Amino acid sequence: MATIHPKAGTGDICSFNIQHGFAEALIRGMRSSFLVDPDYHHLTQCETLDDVRLNLTETDYSEALEDYNSLTPNTLQKAAVEKLVTEFQYLRTQTVEPLSTFLDFITYEYMIENVMLLLKGALSGRDINELLEQCHPLGMFKESTMRSIPTFDNTSKGYSDLYQTVLVDTPVGPYFAQFLKESAAHRGSDSRNVLEEVEIEIIKSSLIKFWIEDFYNFAMSLGGDTAAIMGEILRVRADTNAINITLNSFGTPLNEPAMRISDRKRLYPAVGHLYPAGTTMLADVSDEEELGRVLELFPQYSAIWSIHSSGNGEKSIDDAFYERDVQMLELAFESQFHFAVFYAYVKLKEQEIRNLVWITECILQQQKDEIGKFVQVFSQHTPWRESKRR
Amino acid sequence: MTTMPTTYSDLFYGISPYSWAYTGVGLALGTSIVGAAWGIFITGASLLGASVKAPRIRSKNLISVIFCEAVAIYGVIIAIILQGKISESHFAPGSAEYAKNAFSAYSIFWSGISVGLSNLVCGICVGITGSGCALSDAQTPETFVKILVIEIFGSALGLFGVIVAIIQSGDASFIKN
Repeated sequence: MATIHPKAGTGDICSFNIQHGFAEALIRGMRSSFLVDPDYHHLTQCETLDDVRLNLTETDYSEALEDYNSLTPNTLQKAAVEKLVTEFQYLRTQTVEPLSTFLDFITYEYMIENVMLLLKGALSGRDINELLEQCHPLGMFKESTMRSIPTFDNTSKGYSDLYQTVLVDTPVGPYFAQFLKESAAHRGSDSRNVLEEVEIEIIKSSLIKFWIEDFYNFAMSLGGDTAAIMGEILRVRADTNAINITLNSFGTPLNEPAMRISDRKRLYPAVGHLYPAGTTMLADVSDEEELGRVLELFPQYSAIWSIHSSGNGEKSIDDAFYERDVQMLELAFESQFHFAVFYAYVKLKEQEIRNLVWITECILQQQKDEIGKFVQVFSQHTPWRESKRR
Repeated sequence: MTTMPTTYSDLFYGISPYSWAYTGVGLALGTSIVGAAWGIFITGASLLGASVKAPRIRSKNLISVIFCEAVAIYGVIIAIILQGKISESHFAPGSAEYAKNAFSAYSIFWSGISVGLSNLVCGICVGITGSGCALSDAQTPETFVKILVIEIFGSALGLFGVIVAIIQSGDASFIKN
């Protein structure tokens, strides 16, 4: 699959502002809309959801919450995501190439999620309107396209039909095409696969893998600071995916020796620090101990793995990954004249939305001792910031 | 010129002093203004975007634009000074007066280059710094004055060019007929 070639360079410090100065300044202005330490402090002290709402009206979320009468974790998430999408679409209209393609790449991830949601929902026979409500707004296609996705069968013929009639025109079409090509080459056109029930997850992992590789190639061809910063972020993301796929495959048919090399290895992205030596080793791993041993060889992941293997539910490996990601994304804001701030903003906003939902859930369920377990964005008290100050 | 040039030195010497002089004036003006314009668009784009979310920065950060503009004004001042030294004359090449005019012309040309190139890079420098200034002022107002100090140092670069250009062209004057 050929990556789109950028139609222009990003420009370095002298020429970046010609095309992208306004958009970059916009996103940096939006950085001030993140909740700060005092806000989180007040929110965690709230007793009821009405208190939460009162506190949120003093932050940037005041307008977003106006349309909703009552505040529940679901409505808060919906309002916050809509706010993010409105800002993103406003930003997208202000950009030109190659920044507009870069922003589109950010949305493809959500498109893949939506397609998979619709397919999975069709399998379990849920109503299409209910599914459309649940789709992530950043990744919406045309309504007609989305409505026709669940009407296809869950067989390899069904998927090729789905691709040829519906998905080929969408931006995720190339990823689906590549998946079908590899799938046909690997399985032969008539073999029934053993993994029917996990097939959807495998499709999603494959699509995400192709997306990461595509995005990575695009970012690297942009060159300059964008390639340096965005390349690192995507490499780390690819490694996180590889580790998660391996971890989640223990106890599923994907972990059987026959399937490991053939199927699981194919899900590892072809970019990242773990590629190619690490992923070859990961393909042979059969349980957590072996996974730990492989990760010991990579210093940046051995620290995270030791949190997972030693922690007793204090912190999960997802939390460790989130912390590391938030640190990297915050650092993307430290330099000017590159595109990585846009990706960082979207991801950090997502993290903030996750935090808000966690806090409101804890308040709703009256589990106040769990309420502190979120990864704060742009906090002055994170360990790595404090150690720098000393 | 009544004789054809036979060596490169003849050819070079045969270029009229006036072309050297007026090219110098044009370069002084033109490249300074390119630098100023470059700086203004760099800082202006960031200023526009940053003031969407933080309108309070609008007036203060126009100082960055003013610093860039100053660079263009240096160019104009030098251009006016330089062209004031040029006056019409008809001397035969080879005469002492022609030599003096040639000297003045070369000195005006290179003064123009001095001030032009310095102002070009000064303008870009102040522009990039001004862009950073607008963005950080939008987040943290206390940083504005500190980054302004960087811009002041940056605009001193243009001033160096002006001073040297004035000194270089100090002895230049065309002898009238």
